[in-house]
Amino acid sequence: MKKLLSIALALVMVFALAAPMAYADDQVVLTLWSIATESDSSHQAFVDAIAAFEESHPGVKIEHVTTENEAYKTKIKAAMSSGEGLPDIFFTWGMGFLGEFVNAGRVASVEDAYAAYQDELPENMTVNVRYGEDNKMYGVPYTMSLITLYANMDILAEVGYEDIPATYEDMMACCDKLVAAGYIPFGVAGKEKWCLSEYVEPLVIKSVGAQNLRDMYNGVTSWNTDGVIKAIEAFQSMIDKGYFDPSANALSNDEVKNNFIQGKTAFYQNGSWNNKDIGEQAKFTVKAGTFPVLNDEVPLLSLIGGPNNTLAVTESSANKDLAIEAAFYLARYMSDADYKSGANLPCWAADPDADVNELIQAAADMASQAADLVLFGDNFLSADAANTYLDYIEMAWAEEVTPAEYVEGLDAELH
Amino acid sequence: MKKPLLYKINIFLFLLPALFLFIAVLIAPIVLSFYYSLTEWNGFTTPEFIGIKNYVELFTSRSINISRALKNAFLLALLSCVIQLPFALWLALRLSRPIKGKTALLSIYFMPVLISTVVIGQLWLKIYNPDYGVLNVLLRALHLDSWTRVWLGDKKTALGAAFVPILWQYVGYHMLLMYAGIKGVPTELTEAAMLDGCTPAQVSRYIVIPYIRPILRVSVIFAITGSLKSFDLIYVLTNGGPSHVTEVPSTLMISMLFLRNRYGMGSAIAVMLIVLCFFFALLINAIFKEEK
Amino acid sequence: MNTLYEKKSKMTLIYILLIIWAVISFFPVYWMLTFSLKTNTEIFGENVAGLPREWVWSNYTRALNTGNMPRYFLNSLIVAISTIAITLAASVMATYAMTRLRWKGRKRMNGFFMLGLTIPIHASIVPLYTTLAKIKLLDTLWALIIPYSAFSLAMGILVCTGFMGDIPYDLDEAAMLDGCGTWGIFFRVIVPLMRPAVATVGIYTFLQCWNELMFANVFINSDKWRTLPVGVQSLSGQYTTDWGPIGAALSIATIPTLLFYVFMSKKIQDSFIAGAVKG
Repeated sequence: MKKLLSIALALVMVFALAAPMAYADDQVVLTLWSIATESDSSHQAFVDAIAAFEESHPGVKIEHVTTENEAYKTKIKAAMSSGEGLPDIFFTWGMGFLGEFVNAGRVASVEDAYAAYQDELPENMTVNVRYGEDNKMYGVPYTMSLITLYANMDILAEVGYEDIPATYEDMMACCDKLVAAGYIPFGVAGKEKWCLSEYVEPLVIKSVGAQNLRDMYNGVTSWNTDGVIKAIEAFQSMIDKGYFDPSANALSNDEVKNNFIQGKTAFYQNGSWNNKDIGEQAKFTVKAGTFPVLNDEVPLLSLIGGPNNTLAVTESSANKDLAIEAAFYLARYMSDADYKSGANLPCWAADPDADVNELIQAAADMASQAADLVLFGDNFLSADAANTYLDYIEMAWAEEVTPAEYVEGLDAELH
Repeated sequence: MKKPLLYKINIFLFLLPALFLFIAVLIAPIVLSFYYSLTEWNGFTTPEFIGIKNYVELFTSRSINISRALKNAFLLALLSCVIQLPFALWLALRLSRPIKGKTALLSIYFMPVLISTVVIGQLWLKIYNPDYGVLNVLLRALHLDSWTRVWLGDKKTALGAAFVPILWQYVGYHMLLMYAGIKGVPTELTEAAMLDGCTPAQVSRYIVIPYIRPILRVSVIFAITGSLKSFDLIYVLTNGGPSHVTEVPSTLMISMLFLRNRYGMGSAIAVMLIVLCFFFALLINAIFKEEK
Repeated sequence: MNTLYEKKSKMTLIYILLIIWAVISFFPVYWMLTFSLKTNTEIFGENVAGLPREWVWSNYTRALNTGNMPRYFLNSLIVAISTIAITLAASVMATYAMTRLRWKGRKRMNGFFMLGLTIPIHASIVPLYTTLAKIKLLDTLWALIIPYSAFSLAMGILVCTGFMGDIPYDLDEAAMLDGCGTWGIFFRVIVPLMRPAVATVGIYTFLQCWNELMFANVFINSDKWRTLPVGVQSLSGQYTTDWGPIGAALSIATIPTLLFYVFMSKKIQDSFIAGAVKG
């Protein structure tokens, strides 16, 4: 035992004390932190993008550190908080998440470099990464997501529908028929609050319109409007009529998605990042669409979503300019690769002839025709407000608040 | 007796490694946390000193609702003391008497402690699953359909359902501690009592249990501080939901520290937890001493 | 006659109870092993508790081919062994100073160390991160070994106090008469008799650090210093997760522990017995 221990200890000394790997002097190493773990759908795209960058920039090496989604948030926050050991380039979500790092002065502006890419990365794709009075750009978005209504057309056909119902009344009638036929209309994970917001936000935007919703998030207008109240009433009446899976509160999103793929629910409303899984695994006809409007004055294609997956560069990076160049390069590559693999929608100008799966094509069409886009509420708001907001959505779901209390509560607590 | 200087230096040298680790890794961050708890800080900008405002908000805010979280943690601590520990003690007493398959049983009972929380959490999620979970399937098979529930999703049952795995997982841990204590009871004592005509139950009651009081004290301290700090399984099973009914202080703390970027408030909860745990540890020590 | 019958049926009842509890305690192991051989469809609903219909051994290949699992395993092992060694050394020394050496405030010092049982680890992440970065230990195995040791210390001291209390004081005095000083007594008398503490402190410390995820994620960046739990976690994606390979990886991480425990259990239990009396 003693011998074993001392051998092990000697091993430790050798391993643990070894200095970080040394590179040749003329080689520059950039570190990139992301959430593209090996099992993530974007992992291969990152690997390819890095290889391509390294090939076109001899003497530069990118070290890619991947961390699982939830753990990543803790990791990047700890590093941003101490300001030590930060990577050169890091993955982030736009608006609120990146905003707090920008306010702390930890993020480098990419405004000046952007000029060279303006043709390929449209200005409207950068709105979620601009901060401050001078509206400077602090990150390079690569993919965008939209809340999409996935429909099992085989089940819909059984109750006599050949398409996703186009009006709210028809949608409700369809759900009634589904319930009567013994189907669960909507799958949702009550356990994960953001999944509830994937149902509430489309109802709200389709009742009040995109600009009003944006103003509410920004605290410019009150939540206390007939439109929001109507949307929450609609949500709660859908709950009362049993349109949602009665087991929802015990389910995680993984399980809910799997239920949809197994044909247990007729609809599944969630982000367009599900296109690939659903497209590949569902054994029935799937259609990707959008929820009908509650208010005829609002255009049907007022959608929730927008550019959110972003690469940003730290202010402390020793090779800031090179890192910024790499961020643009990788983002452009990722945008294309994720689109072609069907993982998500591109922020950068896409190859119009790309051969992509039907679902991603439908989502891309929706995005290009969209009347207006508003980012997910929990991305839009700052961290504290976002969680309060999600709490209210959960309270509406549990029917602990009436629609009136919901809007009053948001007005009182969000800003 | 006057102690030579060398003796004092030696004492210091013996304490040095432990003190160094302890102060650098545990005490210093806690002192910092205490300072942060007096500030409004999002974790990134300069902390702004606000005095005890975080504590005032912590104990008055309806939306944080710390009293519910504390009530849950105390309930868990109580259940742990009145269900988990007595059951562990019963197992330990049973297994300390001659019985077939003792070694195997001891090993098996300890297994849940060895398995990672991820597995335990996923397992119980599957057991509680309303559609295909073992529990509901069993109830349906027994024609008790009306008893089936969305266990972790129903506000009435979620707390109980989340507590069962926590209590279950550490039975083996306490059992082994107690078993060890019982094995340390001198056989002369028990044998003499048996010769005097005591039943095994009486021997346990009047000889064994009083003898292993120091172990019981350790078990109670672990059970209570562990309950007050419990986090992992709650996080996997319910993450505080539905509608916050299963919130415990640690889940609130994590949400403040890393979700809401309210580092000051998160630190305030951490300080509160430390004070509570320390208070209980002292209280338990005092109770055990007094009874002596 | 009647009482004998009663006794027998009571014994049967007790056996039934003990066996039910054994089944409940063993179930997670069985479940982990079976779900490591299933597909998502079976895990999510079609076949939760049964044996796999189709034995998906490829889950294991996938788990082993993800990242560098053998390396992660080695790292975890190095971290665990070093943590156990440091915890043990530091706690035996400190306990010696607080139980065998006489000085004012030693009781209070013991209480001070018990403070370690009360501290929630999550609250220390940010300050620890900054410190580790400043002393250039971030992204080395030391960034895990040091905090893990510190967090195991309170437990180590608690256990060691029990063991050391059992060593008769006469031994110290005899050694003193033989001309041993403070250090002599420590190395010649105390350390050899503390051998059983290795198993007890070892298993507790091992439990603390083998599955730890939070520090392992935040303090380590390089692939070459990753530990097993982080490796297992990298099997879940942002939007999709295949649970089979995760089960396989978890089995790979757990089975050695279980085997070690089962084979060592007699020894571990014995040492528990030796150490537990004074708690």
